[in-house]
Amino acid sequence: MFVLLRHLQRVRREAALPPRRGARSLAIRHVDAGSCNACEHELTATAAPQYDLQRFGLDIVASPRHADVLLVTGPVTTRMEGALLAAYEAMPEPRRVAALGDCALGCGVLGAAAELAGPLDRLLPVDIRIPGCPPTPQEIADAILDAIPASQSPGSP
Amino acid sequence: MSRPRRLRAAEPRQGVAAIEVEGSRWRESCRRELGDGARFCGAYASGDRLARRWSALFADGPSTRVLTTRVDRDQLPTIVDLVAAAQWDEREAHDLHGLRFEGHEPLRALVDHTVDTAAWTTPVEGRGVHQVAVGPVHAGVIESGHFRFHVVGERILHLDTRLFYKHRGLERAAEGRELPDGLRFAQRACGACAVTNAVAYAQACESVLGLLPTRELRRARTLLLELERLYNHLNDIGAACAGIGFASGNMAFAALKERAMRLNKELAGHRFLFGSAEVGASRLVLASQLAGRTRGQLRELRQDAAQVWREVRFSGSVQARLGGVGVLDRDSAARLGAVGPAARASGLEQDTRSDSPGLWYGSSFAAAGPEARTGDVSARLQVRASELESTFEVLDDLLSAPIAADIASPSGPKAPIGVARVESPRGETVCVLEHDLFRLRRLHLRTGSYANWPALAEASARNLLPDFPLINKSFELCYACVDR
Ligand code: SF4
Repeated sequence: MFVLLRHLQRVRREAALPPRRGARSLAIRHVDAGSCNACEHELTATAAPQYDLQRFGLDIVASPRHADVLLVTGPVTTRMEGALLAAYEAMPEPRRVAALGDCALGCGVLGAAAELAGPLDRLLPVDIRIPGCPPTPQEIADAILDAIPASQSPGSP
Repeated sequence: MSRPRRLRAAEPRQGVAAIEVEGSRWRESCRRELGDGARFCGAYASGDRLARRWSALFADGPSTRVLTTRVDRDQLPTIVDLVAAAQWDEREAHDLHGLRFEGHEPLRALVDHTVDTAAWTTPVEGRGVHQVAVGPVHAGVIESGHFRFHVVGERILHLDTRLFYKHRGLERAAEGRELPDGLRFAQRACGACAVTNAVAYAQACESVLGLLPTRELRRARTLLLELERLYNHLNDIGAACAGIGFASGNMAFAALKERAMRLNKELAGHRFLFGSAEVGASRLVLASQLAGRTRGQLRELRQDAAQVWREVRFSGSVQARLGGVGVLDRDSAARLGAVGPAARASGLEQDTRSDSPGLWYGSSFAAAGPEARTGDVSARLQVRASELESTFEVLDDLLSAPIAADIASPSGPKAPIGVARVESPRGETVCVLEHDLFRLRRLHLRTGSYANWPALAEASARNLLPDFPLINKSFELCYACVDR
């Protein structure tokens, strides 16, 4: 265990992350609406020691009821439309919707038209657009961090 | 590790034999294949309502036999009693193509989401039995899928999985396109197996076009496939650490994976290696300086990965959480047609890399196994850790010489139907394509994940419900390429 922690310390040192700015937070709920899974990999990677998005107060939360932002990947299949809208409905106001990746933005290799209900902005108001196939963890981090001031309201914790 | 190439196949590609079978002899023909020791590796429907056809694939070393029969009035006899691994294939063909399989009773819905719960779940009854439904949206960053656990207390008696929430109709969307253009659809079926899918598609395509991969093409593709395996295995070991709440192990592997991703970007221009494999050509150029530098970086990564793995392997509290959980015994693995690390952890020796003359694995390449073939979470993790070693070996060997761009040689015979089998980080992926004048008539992709989902359900039974996320992560199957 000691070796492991020392190893992590070294990784951390080498990453030389810039200091966090301000004390704010944002709770994110992710919904996969038909991605190829690479967008999920990159979203998960934002928690890796080289990015460590959590130090900015960003957290992936387990329920849409706890979320400020609904982060959606994939072109929105007909089979995920219902679950996606249910997740959005469950969120408290103010809420924001982010489209993660080209699929969610309606471009790229999507699939057969009959199987798709998207793109996302046909179904929900999209506030944050993160293009890329997939966007890199840094691009995801930057886009979400940029959104923080806009998504804070006086009443939010 | 420069070893002589395997000389088993005369050509540097897998062999394909297309065999027409009378409907009345369907079961008998399939039974004969299985009796001769061939391994079922997928089935698919093709044609339209007027001329429906049904094909089953059997793997025999580096060659594949495709048995095809005409389907009368959308009905034909099942083979699930002969080979349980065909279960999902038949269920899918029913839902997507309207085929009915006599003797497959009950034929539960798989892709069709319009039916009642009773139409796709197994009835489990008894005192205190109840169902727990989870998904399609999960608590973490996880792909969408629905699980229905039949439990008593916290004990899982049976698990019914309902996937295909992510069904995008990619195979259909590819149909009608020119052969080389279809590759992007196969590749986008799955981010984490993008190289495998693209190489499988390219190889299947080349066999109908009469193209043979050159030495450079084979080396480049093998390099890409092993780079894909590298980041996946690092990711999957880390994910299992997360599954037991071992945060430092999870983070250490996440950092190692990130290094592998950055290396991918440097070598092939994309972190997931998208666009790096194509039909009939390879554009990958690694001059000796870059190859040498990469070799050095990989050696460092190898050392660090080994050090971190040792910490996981020899931490008593970690191992106590992994042993005996989610056991898939050897017989079940074989019966259900499990593939890849999951199959090898249960004691099956199958690894399609040994049967890939179109790639660049040495003749003495052998599937890595765990220390004990216990088929539990611990064994599945160990297989990945030992496979990392062989992946580093293969990469080191490939990078000992520069890699140049090249095109395939047009000197091979044209196969009537394109088939390729490629070992992904999750097991054997099979790509089949049929064409009309070089336009795709049918594309079928059966990935390692597709083959393994029934095995995951089997391994979960008898375990505690709170252990399911860990068992799930130890298989680390994709939903994207199953749903397509
Ligand atoms: S945008 Fe690209 S990486 Fe993201 S889900 Fe779509 S195909 Fe995959």
